[in-house]
Amino acid sequence: MKRWLHWAAVLGLLLAFATGAADRPTPPPAVQVLDHAEAAPSDWNAVTPPATGWTPVKLMDFWTSRWPHHDGVVWYRLRWNQADAAAPAGLLLDYVCLADAVYVNGSLLHRDPGLVEPLSRSWVQPQYFLLDKPLLHAGENTLLVRVSGLSAYQPGFGTVEVGDPDVLQQRFAAGRFTRYQVRLFSMAVNLVLGGLFLMLWLFRRHDTTYGWFALSTLLSSAWAWNYVATNPWPFTSTDAFQAWNSVFYFAGLISFLTFLLRYCGRRWPRTEAALWLSLAAIVAWTLLSPASAGAWRGVPGVVGVTLSYSSTLLFAVYAARKGRTEQRVLAACMLLPMFVSVHDVLAFYGLIRASGYIAALASPLTLVGMGFVLAHRFSAAMRRTEGFNLELRREVDTATAQLRQTLEREHALTVTNARSGERLNLVRDLHDGFGGSLVAAIARLERTPSAEAAATTATLRELRDDLRLVIDTTTQAQDLDLDGLLAALRHRWDQRLELAGIDAHWRLDGLDGLQLGPTRSLELLRFLQEALTNVLKHSGARRVELCVRHEGAHLHAEVRDDGRGFDPADHRSHGAGLASLRSRAARLGGRLAIQAAPGAGAVLQLECPSP
Amino acid sequence: MQGMGAADGIELDPALIVEDDASTQQRLARLLAGLGGRGVHGISTAGSIAEAKARIAGQVPRLALVDIGLPDGSGIELIGWLHSHHPNMPTVVVSAWGDEETVLAALQAGAIGYLLKERDDVELELALQSIRRGGAPIDPFVARRILTLLPAKPAANSADASPGASADTLSEREVEVLHLVARGLSNREIASATDLSRFTIEGYTKSIYRKLAVNSRTAAVFEARALGLLR
Repeated sequence: MKRWLHWAAVLGLLLAFATGAADRPTPPPAVQVLDHAEAAPSDWNAVTPPATGWTPVKLMDFWTSRWPHHDGVVWYRLRWNQADAAAPAGLLLDYVCLADAVYVNGSLLHRDPGLVEPLSRSWVQPQYFLLDKPLLHAGENTLLVRVSGLSAYQPGFGTVEVGDPDVLQQRFAAGRFTRYQVRLFSMAVNLVLGGLFLMLWLFRRHDTTYGWFALSTLLSSAWAWNYVATNPWPFTSTDAFQAWNSVFYFAGLISFLTFLLRYCGRRWPRTEAALWLSLAAIVAWTLLSPASAGAWRGVPGVVGVTLSYSSTLLFAVYAARKGRTEQRVLAACMLLPMFVSVHDVLAFYGLIRASGYIAALASPLTLVGMGFVLAHRFSAAMRRTEGFNLELRREVDTATAQLRQTLEREHALTVTNARSGERLNLVRDLHDGFGGSLVAAIARLERTPSAEAAATTATLRELRDDLRLVIDTTTQAQDLDLDGLLAALRHRWDQRLELAGIDAHWRLDGLDGLQLGPTRSLELLRFLQEALTNVLKHSGARRVELCVRHEGAHLHAEVRDDGRGFDPADHRSHGAGLASLRSRAARLGGRLAIQAAPGAGAVLQLECPSP
Repeated sequence: MQGMGAADGIELDPALIVEDDASTQQRLARLLAGLGGRGVHGISTAGSIAEAKARIAGQVPRLALVDIGLPDGSGIELIGWLHSHHPNMPTVVVSAWGDEETVLAALQAGAIGYLLKERDDVELELALQSIRRGGAPIDPFVARRILTLLPAKPAANSADASPGASADTLSEREVEVLHLVARGLSNREIASATDLSRFTIEGYTKSIYRKLAVNSRTAAVFEARALGLLR
């Protein structure tokens, strides 16, 4: 409750202050706005205002509504009451189209250089004058403005303000800024950007997007000259100036449309040809009859504006639906100035009264959009380049690694070849020398049968068989898989076992393509050969089964006979032979399992990892 | 008891041993003389190619055992010479260790078989008996090499399975037998795998060797033509 009272008190106090402020007497207005005048037409060369024909008008006045085809001079006369002439007063003319001379109380205050063609172009900015004694006097003062204009270019006169010089000076500066300086600045930026893109395009001719943008920007700058030029130079008449200005506008627009198409990766040959043909028609019209082309500049203007709006909207839709980020940004930066420019278009066609165009305020936004697009494209290109460099480096690294591997492999191959060459030489020496002697010794012993000789012959034969394996594995292990090496062993032993009356059964499983390398192959073949030698010499078996199987990462070898068997625990009987088999199994990285019992045959099982 | 290919057994008597090593010479002579059934008694020996040719000029033997390394040249040369001058005289090459390529060259030159010195006497005896029966021993290495050297017969004629049907292409059956030999199977195992008698298998081998010789001759002629030596 208390709190509510507190707030009510504060509110009451505030209300009291507000009413107090409203009750204070208003000071005399510092500035008078003069929007009533008298107007009278005259010819181009009149030096004094006409005596008759004065009509009261309301400012801003476009005289074509009264005198539709009047080209020449219209005098505007205004009167105001100056309360105090002690202090200087400011005089601000908002809008004069096109050229003017200003008189105050009968004295010439200002005169444009071109009051007849080529006419000065004073419409581009407001005019400000400072009036002082003795020109300015207390009481009624008369302002006479002689306006030279052409009916085709919205001739007229805007409102006048008289009063505090500081206030009017500020309004003048503000008007000059929005109507003139912004335009000048915008044109300069356009020129710079156009030049920049032109150079980009010159260095990257295939990137036509840049070229079209540069052209459109430069042509737009030429068109924007309309808003900052103070005389028709380099043309000799206002008609020619306006006609060419219209050409620049249309050409700039077509360039911009082409840019948009290229930017979206499109090419519309028929539409583009039609546009360029219509430009050619406008240029021809301008060359043949600048007066009518200038006067009727609104016709291509309508076409241009329609084109401009429809293409901007089209582009916006395209960008929104399937454009990339930077295209959307550009579309947004184009849409806002378009909406703003609707005001200018309406003003241009006289549908609304305005002393100046405001699109220039928003048009730099388009440039911001293009700047974004350019930066985006540039950074994307840089990213691509960096990515490409990275990829390139990766590829170079890969290629280098491959090359190194190849060289290493070749080197390894050379070393291997050299080694196997040496081994082959060694083996050749072995079988030519040692092998020959061995065979000769066996042959000699076979001729002289005796118990002692038989034992020696058996030993020599074992040596010979082993040498055979060494030769086989050394000369053929590179070319042959285990299957091929076993075939040779099998062939030799089948005959031998058959002669001894032993049935041999072989089973080879999954050995296709299996290569153990010379050392391990030799070890395995020796294992089998020793096992077979044992069977042949000691077992008295009728049947032997050999099985070599490759399964997964393992190699199994089994030799099973139905001979007299032995006691594996009895080291005296077969100790040496079994020890040799065990050590071979160990060298293969495997294990040997023996199942044997006196009178029940023997089974040797080797299991080792396969490479 | 003999199949089609093995029907033409050969007479080994008299035989010529061309060998420069005296002990091997004696060993071969002993093996021939002691060959089961009827031994070979008319044995002449030669220590060089020249001596061999002289012996043949005196009496053409029924069989020649030829060593490779002879003092005045290669036994293969002599085999080639014998094959073209006495095409009806069978030659058998006697080879030392690790000389499979030489064995193959001898077969291509026209030898009908080979003996490996390293083998035991019993094994050599078996080989000689096989030769006398009209067969020829073969081992996995030689079989493998022949499979790469001889073209297989086009499938259109495969119905004709008899050996020697075509002069220098292998029949389907021969290819099958060679594959089995290459895998290390014995004649007995091959016989049971192919439903042929083991002596027929030996006959196949001989026919294959003949094709090898014809093929190499054809290849030589072809090469000579290509080189412009023959027209």
